[in-house]
Amino acid sequence: MNLQEILGKNASIAAVVIIVLLILLPLVWSIVSSVSTEGDQSSQLFLERPDPKYKNCIKDTEYMRYHHWELLRGIREEVVRYGKREDINFNKCRECHTSRERFCNKCHDATSLTPDCFDCHYYP
Amino acid sequence: MDIKFESIEGRSFEYRVTMIAFAALAITGLISTFYIINKGLWVTGMYSRVPWGLQIVMAVYYIGLSAGSLVISGLYGVFGKLEYKPFARIAVYLAMLFLIAGLLSILTDQGRMDRVFIQPFVHFNLQSMFSINPILYIGHILICVVYLWALFTERKKLTTVVATLAFGWAFCVHSGTGAIFGFGARMLYESPLLPASFVAAAMASGTALMIIMIVGLFKLTNRRLDDELIVWLGRFLAICVIVVLYFIAVENSYRAYVIELRHAAVYYLFGGIHSLLFWIGLILIGLVIPIVILFRKKTGKSVKWIVLASSLVIFGVLCERYVIVIPGLTHPPEIFPGMEITHSAIEEGIASYSISFLEVLQALGVFGVIGFMFGWGLRYMKLLPTEARALHPCPESTSRKKL
Amino acid sequence: MDRRDFVKTAGGSILLAASSAYAFQFLTSSSASWMKLEVPSTGRKWGMVINLDRCQENCTACLDACRHENNVALSGDERWDIHWIRKVRIEGKIGSKTTEKSVILLCNHCDNPPCAQVCPVQATYKRDDGIVIIDHHRCIGCRYCMIACPYNARCFNFKDTEEWPNKERPRRSHGVAESCHLCAHRLDVGKMPACVEACQRVGAEALFVGDMNDPASNVSELITNNAVKRLKEDLGTAPKVHYIGL
Ligand code: SF4
Ligand code: SF4
Ligand code: SF4
Repeated sequence: MNLQEILGKNASIAAVVIIVLLILLPLVWSIVSSVSTEGDQSSQLFLERPDPKYKNCIKDTEYMRYHHWELLRGIREEVVRYGKREDINFNKCRECHTSRERFCNKCHDATSLTPDCFDCHYYP
Repeated sequence: MDIKFESIEGRSFEYRVTMIAFAALAITGLISTFYIINKGLWVTGMYSRVPWGLQIVMAVYYIGLSAGSLVISGLYGVFGKLEYKPFARIAVYLAMLFLIAGLLSILTDQGRMDRVFIQPFVHFNLQSMFSINPILYIGHILICVVYLWALFTERKKLTTVVATLAFGWAFCVHSGTGAIFGFGARMLYESPLLPASFVAAAMASGTALMIIMIVGLFKLTNRRLDDELIVWLGRFLAICVIVVLYFIAVENSYRAYVIELRHAAVYYLFGGIHSLLFWIGLILIGLVIPIVILFRKKTGKSVKWIVLASSLVIFGVLCERYVIVIPGLTHPPEIFPGMEITHSAIEEGIASYSISFLEVLQALGVFGVIGFMFGWGLRYMKLLPTEARALHPCPESTSRKKL
Repeated sequence: MDRRDFVKTAGGSILLAASSAYAFQFLTSSSASWMKLEVPSTGRKWGMVINLDRCQENCTACLDACRHENNVALSGDERWDIHWIRKVRIEGKIGSKTTEKSVILLCNHCDNPPCAQVCPVQATYKRDDGIVIIDHHRCIGCRYCMIACPYNARCFNFKDTEEWPNKERPRRSHGVAESCHLCAHRLDVGKMPACVEACQRVGAEALFVGDMNDPASNVSELITNNAVKRLKEDLGTAPKVHYIGL
């Protein structure tokens, strides 16, 4: 006995289609959302330049661009769970990158990401 | 014995109306869930003193129904009672659906539903019943799927193996669910008996549910169903109900006897609306009347009366779940023994709780989802047998061929 | 290959690809939490002493300080208000003698915390220095810890509020359970908790926080020199908040 005998022909085809669609949904979703925000990506992203008196960030630009969330998560883990309060936090970030609108949100919007950090942490 | 299974046509007016009704329920439940997510959990009427509400009651109830119906399928799968083979598929399918319902209820109860799918598995906490139970539940669903497949493909050996596994697993699921409360710190929860009494109540409610489902389905689709099968199930139900009654009696008399817990017992038994539910809903309607019905010679042999008793048991067990979860929370922990808190910013004494309309909609929504899935299954899967014969039908029942 | 085989193979490979993609993301996203950080133990164990004899009847300085420091806002509806620290009046009768007292209640930072035991995601846990703290980035809002806490010390953030008095500290996130964390963020940088400071500011000096492992600390001295009580010691939770004059 196979699926077709249990379910009947039409229903089994429908079931397979639905399951495949469900599995592919994240992929489709990301394609759709990236297409819908393509306009933003093609236009040059303008990020606010930090104050020139600060030479460099805690890590180089390349690392920060692609891995800052990992860094933040690591710091969060250290602070919240192990009480290692080093002096890196959003308040520190804010000293150079003064505005969330003109800095963080630029990339987050372009990549249609909505991190919920700022629900609770103050970042004007 | 050769039993043929078939799916129903699903073109009748009644079938369509039922399916539409279930779908409507599911959609209202979905809408109310979205509303709750949007507004925050406070709209359900829960607050910091009573942090669990109807959803947890329903979750526990659904999970109970699930394991109970699995027991019926076990009659064939484990104990080899061939005359119950016709019901095995429905039973396993129902068991799976009700477990999904329980999981849905728990899911919609969380404050942060978005985190439920990853965090509990990454940061597993072996000491927490809430951490162990999802593993048990998901395992139960998977076992049900394999079991169903074994039944559909008529694999005898696999069926026996999986059925035995499922049987044992269902016991673990139930004990685990009971342990959520039994190992808790509240005065009315703490009881090592609770896991065991959960298993008993689950068997009672599940058997009752199966009786109603079987009789209803066979009657609606005009199939032959011999009375003996139902009468036997009725007797099984009666035993389960007695065991439940026994557990409740032991637990409450223990609480009433130990001086430390006596005031809690008084609150439980005579302390408000839940006591009414306990005495009238659970003890009288849910347990005593069904026992009387099932043990009287005349009524115990009539399918109609057995179905009535089953519906009473189902209602009674719902009341039982309620009087386990809610009074345990509304009863205050004694922070200062021998003293009374007269002023506080929060409700320190006996807390008030009332079920809100939204919660009811949510619970009904979950019911709608599984009702719809059951209807869908009846139509597209070969769940229903063409007939169910008793092994040795006695003469009076063969005269009434179709029920 | 007939059609059925094709469907089987195709479906199988899609399933495999999708699940491995998920697994990959899963592993990479959570790797940070699997690494055990090597944090040298400070050897401290924070404890609190509350001297009820010095606590003034109508003073709410500590409660207000806690609200301000930790953004514990009132939600405007009494039923869903959050209280990390609260003041209650208790009354007891022995014979014909009636005793009345007002008592400060907060999380006791139990040494055997039942709340941490039941948390399914280890969001509530006991830090190395004895503080029972909640990682509200991780809490799923199941409220099991509130059931398990025998002191009603926990509150669930049912409602959102717009109030945000202390911008240096995070606002309370909705849908998670929280309670007093002994101002861990202040203790870690060598300051005293907000409620303790406030109590000293109004001149009552009823609250003390200090290292219980250090015999020379103010808390250790107070514990040795006074008759201290802890709440519901019979439960074995071993609270670290001590009361003088209860
Ligand atoms: S008082 Fe309650 S919340 Fe605080 S540590 Fe003890 S059990 Fe946990
Ligand atoms: S509510 Fe949050 S902190 Fe409490 S037990 Fe659940 S996950 Fe843990
Ligand atoms: S120690 Fe901090 S969090 Fe705890 S009650 Fe005092 S001010 Fe509030």
